[in-house]
Amino acid sequence: MAVKDKLKTDLFPTIWCPGCGIGLIMQQLATVMDEVGLDKTNTVIVTGIGCTGRMGAYMNFESVYTLHGRTLPVAEAIKTVRPELNVIVVAGDGDTASIGGNHLLHSIRRNPNVTVLCNNNEIYGLTGGQTGPTTPKGTTTLSSPAGSGFSPINLQGLVNTNQNAFYAKTTVYHQGPMRRAIKEAIEWPGFAFVDIASQCIENNGRRIGFGSAFEMLEDYKSSYKAAPRGATHLEPKQLGIIKNEEPVPVGAAKPAGPSTDGEKA
Amino acid sequence: MTKRLVQGNEAVFLGAIKAGAGYFAGYPISPSSEILAQASGYAAKHPEFKFLQEEDEIASANAILGASLAGAKSFTATSGPGFSLMQEAVGYGHKVGIPAVIVDVMRVGPGTGMPTMPGQGDILQARYGSTGDYTSFVFYPSTVAECFEYTIHAFNAAEETRSPVILLSDAFLGHLNEVVDLDTIDVPVVNRTLEPLASGGTRLFSGVATYPDGEPATADSDEFIRQYLENRENRLKISEKYAFYEYGWNKDSDTLVIAFGITRRVAQPLAPHFALFRPIRLWPVLGNELTEIAARYKKIVVIEGSDGQYASVIEHMLLRRVERVPLLGGRMSLEAVREGLDRIGLLPKESEPGSATAADASASASVA
Ligand SMILES: Cc1ncc(C[n+]2csc(CCOP(=O)(O)OP(=O)(O)O)c2C)c(N)n1
Ligand code: SF4
Ligand SMILES: [Mg+2]
Repeated sequence: MAVKDKLKTDLFPTIWCPGCGIGLIMQQLATVMDEVGLDKTNTVIVTGIGCTGRMGAYMNFESVYTLHGRTLPVAEAIKTVRPELNVIVVAGDGDTASIGGNHLLHSIRRNPNVTVLCNNNEIYGLTGGQTGPTTPKGTTTLSSPAGSGFSPINLQGLVNTNQNAFYAKTTVYHQGPMRRAIKEAIEWPGFAFVDIASQCIENNGRRIGFGSAFEMLEDYKSSYKAAPRGATHLEPKQLGIIKNEEPVPVGAAKPAGPSTDGEKA
Repeated sequence: MTKRLVQGNEAVFLGAIKAGAGYFAGYPISPSSEILAQASGYAAKHPEFKFLQEEDEIASANAILGASLAGAKSFTATSGPGFSLMQEAVGYGHKVGIPAVIVDVMRVGPGTGMPTMPGQGDILQARYGSTGDYTSFVFYPSTVAECFEYTIHAFNAAEETRSPVILLSDAFLGHLNEVVDLDTIDVPVVNRTLEPLASGGTRLFSGVATYPDGEPATADSDEFIRQYLENRENRLKISEKYAFYEYGWNKDSDTLVIAFGITRRVAQPLAPHFALFRPIRLWPVLGNELTEIAARYKKIVVIEGSDGQYASVIEHMLLRRVERVPLLGGRMSLEAVREGLDRIGLLPKESEPGSATAADASASASVA
């Protein structure tokens, strides 16, 4: 098998804007899938709504293009019914952390064996560039002309509320680390979250002063540094993987005991 | 043959198991919570049956769709407020074509409303709650035995139509205990119709308008209309197999009472005075049956636990005036029915045969 067999290249060019970072994620995901033997008989892709969510349509896999924000309930249910399948979620930052935030919180807690690739472009790309949950404070967006007023959500902190969960931060510029992060995430026997900084040139980059996607990639190159060996926490703009050395495998949702309590509201 | 006391909610759960359900996700809400409790207890003893208590009803509805795609017959149970939260997923299930069953045990809304009181205010929500046009199947039993029976039909219809089918119940029926022998109820079970995920293909299950090959069709009106009409025709054709209703009582009366679910039970003492039409399949509306039967009566009166939701539907369908007896605020009692009939001048005189007995009235009141 070759990497390109993972992709529906006959549907190319994709609908993504020239220079968009999403394609770089798809390329590395396909590479890792080829490397670790994921194919359409053992893997399902679940995507959200947003530019990122289009990825499933371009991959040679069965793919569920869910409602906005609902990747995790769907992915977790698939994993529960078919534990033998690899379930890979690909979704935007808004999809994952805003409208899907409650599911994220609880999936982290339940620790199903699913892999989440979060395309973190710090913006609502598809809808034209509104502030999202990961938009840095002060950023000018379509819906925050005077700069966004709030601090972004702490994805690392959220994921690490479960010590058995896996969190990695990478950027689309750092292809090697991104590939490693995706591979380790797929192999992680529990909830694995890869937070991928990626450029939305058209609906974010240009508004905040970047002339091209290349400039945004250069910015990732110069501003992100690998975390020191053995780091148990990533500082802002650090690349790395935070995971427990001895993961306690927790499968998909386990049956709970029978409830006897009544409920009155 | 084992006769025993079974609760309405329990009968729904047992019907789901009989139909082959393998996955339940839900969030507690009165008066449906017994179904969640039953599912959790069953899962603890049967590892092949999967159960998850979700963080909310949005997760529940989306999870049962994911589980169904993965290969399990799946269902959830809720009540009005939770059903509202599920509506986006209902439309998604219709668009993608995913079999699943949603049980809505109705209480009094809107809002948190009257959590333990029976209502029938989700009749339109069950049909029109999600965005866009779609063809919904909705069943509403009125006995504990029927809760079992029509849950199986709901799963069957879900498979045949490849859509989320709604099974309505209510706080009264869900908590009603009746002596039944469920073993005597024999409904053939329809097998799975959807090839499970990762069967070797490369299908895209998309809520976005797409061509059959997965390419976006988000601006192609002709393609949209083609797919919509095809779906609608297909589902209406299938609905012919599910034309469930009851027609009875005093057919010689000049007034036809239409009541469904628990209101039909509450109205039972009126049997000598009126003819009865009870739709069990509320949606798609039983147009042919209703038109034919209604033509025999001078007056039509709908007794229901909402302010005329289904009465309006019938009025619109028959293009003739329909009287309303709304049972509001959880007052599902014979007394409330009689008051309503009196208001529209249709209350049978006390001296007439078949007036409600005290036993009937108190049986209604004690559960309401
Ligand atoms: C329930 C619902 N609310 C809003 C939308 C509109 N919507 C589509 S994509 C999107 C945001 C996408 O942002 P993100 O998830 O970050 O993905 P990106 O486009 O940046 O990849 C929104 C708000 C929708 N489709 N559904
Ligand atoms: S709008 Fe932004 S995220 Fe969407 S395709 Fe274009 S560059 Fe990519
Ligand atoms: Mg985004």
